[in-house]
Amino acid sequence: MVEIVLNSTNGGVEGGAASNAMPGLCLLVDDSSLVRKIARKIFIGLGFETDEAENGQVALEKCQRRMPDVVLLDWNMPVMDGLEFLKSLRHTEGGRQPAVIFCTTETDVDHIQRALANGANEYLMKPFDQDSLVAKLDMVYYRK
Amino acid sequence: MSVDEVVKSRTIADSALATMQRLEVPASPANYAIWYEYHAGQSPNLQRTIDVLISNDASFNESTLQDLYATFFSSAKEAQAVRETSMHALKTLQEIVGVADLASDDAHDFGNTLRGIASNGLGRSLGNLKNLIEDLVEETQSMAGRSEYVGLRMRESAGKIEALERNLENAILDSTLDGLTGVSNRRAFDNVIRRLAGEAMNSGDDLAMLMIDIDHFKRVNDTWGHQTGDTVLRYLAMTLQKAVRGGDHVARYGGEEFAVILPRTDGEAAVSVAENIRTALAKEPLTLDVTPPLTPITVSIGAACYEPGDPLADWVGRADAALYSAKRDGRDRVELN
Repeated sequence: MVEIVLNSTNGGVEGGAASNAMPGLCLLVDDSSLVRKIARKIFIGLGFETDEAENGQVALEKCQRRMPDVVLLDWNMPVMDGLEFLKSLRHTEGGRQPAVIFCTTETDVDHIQRALANGANEYLMKPFDQDSLVAKLDMVYYRK
Repeated sequence: MSVDEVVKSRTIADSALATMQRLEVPASPANYAIWYEYHAGQSPNLQRTIDVLISNDASFNESTLQDLYATFFSSAKEAQAVRETSMHALKTLQEIVGVADLASDDAHDFGNTLRGIASNGLGRSLGNLKNLIEDLVEETQSMAGRSEYVGLRMRESAGKIEALERNLENAILDSTLDGLTGVSNRRAFDNVIRRLAGEAMNSGDDLAMLMIDIDHFKRVNDTWGHQTGDTVLRYLAMTLQKAVRGGDHVARYGGEEFAVILPRTDGEAAVSVAENIRTALAKEPLTLDVTPPLTPITVSIGAACYEPGDPLADWVGRADAALYSAKRDGRDRVELN
């Protein structure tokens, strides 16, 4: 596992192992503000820049303006759900680039299989914590 | 099959059996086909889906296994390749387990082991079930090692293995319940807290847990024997179920320790549920015709609330720590962490 150390006391010193090179923009797509808050805290701690969307429609518009490097994606959302967003994203110009991690309470085989078949890079089951999230980033982002 | 193919199949079969054992998957033909295919590597989608389940610590319960089979073994797309592989798989399994030769002592022992497993009251508890599967796999593997001498013959073992599979499938259905007390067992508890914590993370609703331990339980066992100890455990389980509310979950966490999961409950409300439990025990004591007379049963209780974003183990750990404080501070009390 890649150890990401963000040392705030370092100030401007760009000495951290992988932290200065890798992290980019992460788009947090979830209708739960609590989930976005928890994820934001973790991603910022890992050195990412974050943006947020409360449904797939808003997320798609944000992607068209600026393509993120990582998308953390909920399944059930009003207006446009995560799977619809993913399908549209992968057909958008530059939309094959982001590492998409589904992040949902849906844990059955059918959901996992449909997510992967439609271009999800990984699948994280809620509840998540820093360790389980970093393990997924390690598989689909840091190692790329 | 060529010799190379047989050796390759055997290697895959060994890996499949080992993985099934590790993940506590019952040894049915359908499950075996899934795990054979997983290790054979002919179906990347099956592999990725299973890797997702494993990396999320998901439990391979009956419904997940059925879904895997239905998704990957009956869809038209991958059906052909997978069907061929599963035929190989089943044939190899039959070769391994079906080498029973009635004239051989090995086979006789194997048959007895199967009989023993089948008549063993099958899987009252998960630990029991796990032991049974371990026995089966161990016996199967040691038979496989001797099969060159015994020769490839299918005999009465086929019928017994089928019966065993049926029994194991029934056993796994029961395996969410604790055999002694009838409340959820540890495995079911782990699944319930995961599901409820996921929902709480989405909704922001409160979620609390009580860890409950019988005071001086060792003394009960030492003074009045284990049968009385078992009666005390059943009495507490019943009292807990009566004292909690509709959506709450009671589980036997292990030994004389129980857990109650309380959805939409904050710390203060959790403590009042815990106090209700203590009151219920005092109001309706267990009466048994034993000498010396049974002393009143009391419990120590630790309460803790789920913090979304924290590991589940931290939550359980905080409830345990509160329970420990309650014990240290004199027992028969409630602590909130």
